Amino acid sequence: MIASSLAIARKDLRLAFAGGQGPVQAVLLGLLLVFIFSLSAAPGEHFSAQQAMAIFWLCSSFGVVLIFSLLFRFEEENDTATALLLSPLPVQGLWLGKTLAGLILLLLCQVFFFPAALVFLGLDPGDNLSGLVLMVLAVDVGLCVLGGLIGAMGQGQGAKDALLTIIVFPLQVPLLLGGIRIGVGLMQGTAMAGVSDWFGLVLAFDAVFAGAALFLFPHVFRGE
Amino acid sequence: MFRIYPKILTILACISMALMAIGQYAIWFHAPEEMTMGLVQKIFYFHLPLAWWSFVAFFGVCAASVMVLWTGREQWDVLAGVLAEIGVLFSGLALVTGSLWGRAAWNTWWTWDPRLSTTLVMWFVYAGYLVLRSADVGGTKGAKVRAVLGIVAFLDVPLVFLSARLWRSIHPAVLASKGGGLEPEMWTAVWINVLAWGAMFGTLVLARYHGAGLKRRVEAALIGIQEKTLQ
Repeated sequence: MIASSLAIARKDLRLAFAGGQGPVQAVLLGLLLVFIFSLSAAPGEHFSAQQAMAIFWLCSSFGVVLIFSLLFRFEEENDTATALLLSPLPVQGLWLGKTLAGLILLLLCQVFFFPAALVFLGLDPGDNLSGLVLMVLAVDVGLCVLGGLIGAMGQGQGAKDALLTIIVFPLQVPLLLGGIRIGVGLMQGTAMAGVSDWFGLVLAFDAVFAGAALFLFPHVFRGE
Repeated sequence: MFRIYPKILTILACISMALMAIGQYAIWFHAPEEMTMGLVQKIFYFHLPLAWWSFVAFFGVCAASVMVLWTGREQWDVLAGVLAEIGVLFSGLALVTGSLWGRAAWNTWWTWDPRLSTTLVMWFVYAGYLVLRSADVGGTKGAKVRAVLGIVAFLDVPLVFLSARLWRSIHPAVLASKGGGLEPEMWTAVWINVLAWGAMFGTLVLARYHGAGLKRRVEAALIGIQEKTLQ
C-alpha cells in the first residue's frame, strides 16, 4: 500500500506543478490574510505571540481547503476516479497518497507563511526551532488527514464542495488550539515537557482521524 | 421506513406535556431559591437537561450513521438527520441559557470554558452537517457521505472538550462528589426536568421522523402519478 500511495502522491505533485502553478492560490491567500491582519495593529504596535500564531494557523487552515480541493479536482477534471477504483491499488492507499501530497504542499505554503508572519506580525520564533518544526509537522498531519477525508466528499460536487468548509473548520478546532498553544509556549522558551499535554492532544487527533479515515474513506470515495 | 403509529406519538406528547408541567412546578414551587443568585439560578433547570439531551442526540447521529454504513438502509439516514436537527435546537437553547447564566454568575455573556466551548463547536459542526444535508452534498453517494460526516463529527467531541479544558475552565462542576452544592429539593427538580426534556426530546424525534416518512410517501405517490400521466 505504501508504494502505491507514494505513486499517487508523486502523480498528484507532478500534476500540481505541471502548469508551474503548484499551491500558488493557497500561498497567495495565506499571504493576503497575514497582510490584512497586520493592518489591524496600529503603526509600531506588535501582535502578541498568541495572535500571530492564530493568524498563522488560520492561513494554514484555509490553505488545506484549497490544497485538497486542487488534489481531488485532478480526478474530476480528467474523469479518472473510476480508473483509480479499477486499478489494483487499495482505496486506502489513494487516501494516504492524497494526504501525503497535501502534506508536502501545505509545508511548502508554510515556508512562505512563516517569514510573512515574522515580517508583518512581528512573530519572534525564539530558540527552539526544532520543537517548532516538530509541532508544525504534528498539526499539519492532522489537518491533512482530515483534509484527505473531507476533500473526497467534495469530489464531483461542483460549487457545493465549498459548503464542506463549514464543517471542516470547526472540526479542526482542537488541532488549531494545540498549534497555537504549543507554538506560543515554545517561542516563549517553555521546554517540550511543558507543552507535552498539548502535543499528546494533537497526536491523539492525528491517530483518531487517521484510523477513522482508513475505515471511512472507501465509503466516501467508492460509495460502497 | 420505521413505522410510527400516530397514537404512540400522541401518547408520548401527552406524557411529555404532563412531565413538563410537573417540572415547572418543581422549579418554581418545590426547589428553594438559591441564596446568592436568587431567581437567576432557575435557568440551571432548563440549561442542564437541554445540554445533556443535545449530547444524547449527537451520539444518536453517530450511532445512526454507523448503521447507515452497516445496513445501507435509508431510515437510519433519516433518523440521523432528525437527531441532528433536535440536537442543534437543544444545544442552541443550552448555549443561550448558559450565556444568560454566565452574565448573572460570572458577569460575562461568554467565557472560554470546556463545556460551553465544546457545545458551541458541536453546534457549529452539526449546524454545518444540517446545511450539507439540505444541500444534498454527496449526490448519489449522499447517504454514505452524510454517515461519514456524522461519525467524524462525533469523534471530534472528546478532542474538542480536552482542548478546551487545557485552555482554561471556570464552569461549575455540577456532578461533583459533594453534589455540586445543591439541596435535595433542587436535585429532585433537576431529575424531573431531565426526564421531562427527555420525553420532549423523544416526542420531537418521533414527530420529525414521522413527518419525514409522510414526506417520502407523498413524493413516491407524486412520482407514481407522473408516471401514469406519461403513459
